[in-house]
Amino acid sequence: MATYGAQVDAGRPTDWWGGWKTLFVSCAVLLACNLFLWVFDYKYALLIGLDSSTHAFTTHYRALFWGELISLGLFAGIWYGWIMRTGRALAGQPIPPAEEVRRIVVLWGIIGATSLSLYIEASFWPNWDGAWHQTMVRDTALTPTHIPMFYFFFPLSIILAIGAYLYGQYRLPVLYSIKKGFPWSFFLLIMAAVLEFMQVAFNEWGHSLWLSEEFFSVPFHWPFVAYGWLASGMFAVWGETIIRLYGIENEARTVEIPAQTAAAGGR
Amino acid sequence: MAAAATTGMTAAERQKRLELRDLLDAKYQWIDRTWDAVFWITAAFVVGGAADITKLLFAGDWDFWTDWKDPQWWPVVTAFATIIIPSALQWIQWVAWRFPTGATYTCVCLFLASWVGRFFQWHIAEGYPLCFVWPISTVPAAIILDWLLMKTRSFVLTSLIGGPIWAILVWGFNYIPLAPYLQPAVFMHHVLTVSDVQGIAYIRSQTPEYMRHIERGALRSFLGETQYVSLVFGGSLAVVGYWIGQLIGRYLAVKPIGKYIKTY
Repeated sequence: MATYGAQVDAGRPTDWWGGWKTLFVSCAVLLACNLFLWVFDYKYALLIGLDSSTHAFTTHYRALFWGELISLGLFAGIWYGWIMRTGRALAGQPIPPAEEVRRIVVLWGIIGATSLSLYIEASFWPNWDGAWHQTMVRDTALTPTHIPMFYFFFPLSIILAIGAYLYGQYRLPVLYSIKKGFPWSFFLLIMAAVLEFMQVAFNEWGHSLWLSEEFFSVPFHWPFVAYGWLASGMFAVWGETIIRLYGIENEARTVEIPAQTAAAGGR
Repeated sequence: MAAAATTGMTAAERQKRLELRDLLDAKYQWIDRTWDAVFWITAAFVVGGAADITKLLFAGDWDFWTDWKDPQWWPVVTAFATIIIPSALQWIQWVAWRFPTGATYTCVCLFLASWVGRFFQWHIAEGYPLCFVWPISTVPAAIILDWLLMKTRSFVLTSLIGGPIWAILVWGFNYIPLAPYLQPAVFMHHVLTVSDVQGIAYIRSQTPEYMRHIERGALRSFLGETQYVSLVFGGSLAVVGYWIGQLIGRYLAVKPIGKYIKTY
C-alpha cells in the first residue's frame, strides 16, 4: 500500500528539494532528451537526413523514429500504471493538509514539465523546421526536424497532460474526482496537445500534395496555432489549484484554532 | 471615520480594504513566494511557445528574413500576429493580480524564445548569418500597451487606442535595426537593397525566385504611401487580434477555472 508519511516527515511539502523535486527532475530529463535530439540532428541531418532512400537514413533516422515511439509508449504505460495502481490504494484514505499541499506541488511540477515540453514543440523545434524546410527538399514525412518535433515532443506533451490529469484524479479528489465530472481546464490542455497531433496528419497530407514550403505561414499550417491558444487551459489548472490551496489553509486554521483554545483551558 | 470622510471612501470600500488587508496580513503555513516564482517561471515557457507559434505561423516568413521585412505585408501581418497572446496575458494578469504587465511579460518571453530559435536553429544549425535572420522585438510596444491599460483601466479603450499604436510601434522600433539593410546597393548592374543582396546570396532553395519580394520591398515603395496605408490597415487588424487574445484569456484561461464537463 502506498503511504505518504515518509514525505510528510521528511520536511515541508514546499521545500525546493522536497515537493518541488518533481519539477526539477522532470525538466532536467526533458532538457537532456532535447539536447540529445538536437545534437543528433546537428551531427546527422545534413550528412544522412537529406535522402530517405538510403540505408544510413534507415539505420539513423527511422531507428530514431521507432526508438522515440517505443520509449514514449513504455514511459506512458509505466507511469500511468504506477499512478493508477498506487492511486487506487490511496482511494478513500483521509488526506492531511500538508499531504494535499505536497500533491498540488507535484501536480505543479508535472504541469511545469508540460509547459516546457509545449515550448520545445511550439518554438524551439519549429524554428529549425522552418529553416530546414525552406532550404532542403523533402522526400519523406519523417524529415530530420519532424522526427524530434512531431514524434517525440508532440506525443510527450499529450502523455504529460493526460498524466497530470490522472495524477489529479487519483491524488486530489477534492478538485479532480471523477464524480465531479471532467474538468474544462484539463479538457482544453489535453485537447491542445491532441489537436496538435491530429494537425500533424493534416500537415503531412497537405505536404504530400504541395511538397514545397514556399511559405512557412501557409494556411494549412495555421491550425497548429490552435495548440498555443487551447494550452491556456493550463492557467485554469493553476487557478483552481491556487484556490484550493487557500481552501486548505483555511481548513487547517479552523482545525488548529479550536485545538489551541482547548489546550489553553477553553479560554 | 474622519480619515475616511476626507478620503471620500464609502463604508463598502472601507470594508473591502479591511478584507484585503486581512488577506494580506494572514499567516499562511504553505502559501509563500515559492508559488509565485514557480508560476512566473514555468508559465514563461508556455507563454513564449504560444506567442512564438502564433507569430511563426501567421507572420513567420516576414520575420525570418531581412528581405521579407517589406513595407506592404510586414506591418500588417506582424501587428496582427504578435498582439494576440500579449492581449490574453493582459487579461489574465489584470484579473489575477491587477498587474498591468501581461503584454510586457509575454513579449519578453517571446523575445527570448525567438532569439533561442534564431540562434540555435537558424544560425548554428542551418548556417544563416544572424544579421539576415534576426527576429523583431515587441517589448517596447508591449510596455506602451500595458501603460495604456494601467491608465485607461479599460480593455475596450486599450484595444481601440492600443491596436493602432501597437502596429506603429512594432514597425517603428524594428525599423531602427532594419534601416541599415535598406540602403541601396548595386548588384549585377541593378540598384537593390542590401537585404535583397542577402536574399540572393543566402539561398533558400525551397523558396523559388517568383517569391522574391524585390519589387514590393525596395526603395521605390518603402517610404511611399504603401507604408502608411499598411500601417493603418495593420493597426485595424491589431484591434481584431487584441480581441482574439481577449477571448483566449477570458474563455480559455480564466472562465474554465473550477468548471466541469458533467458526466451522467
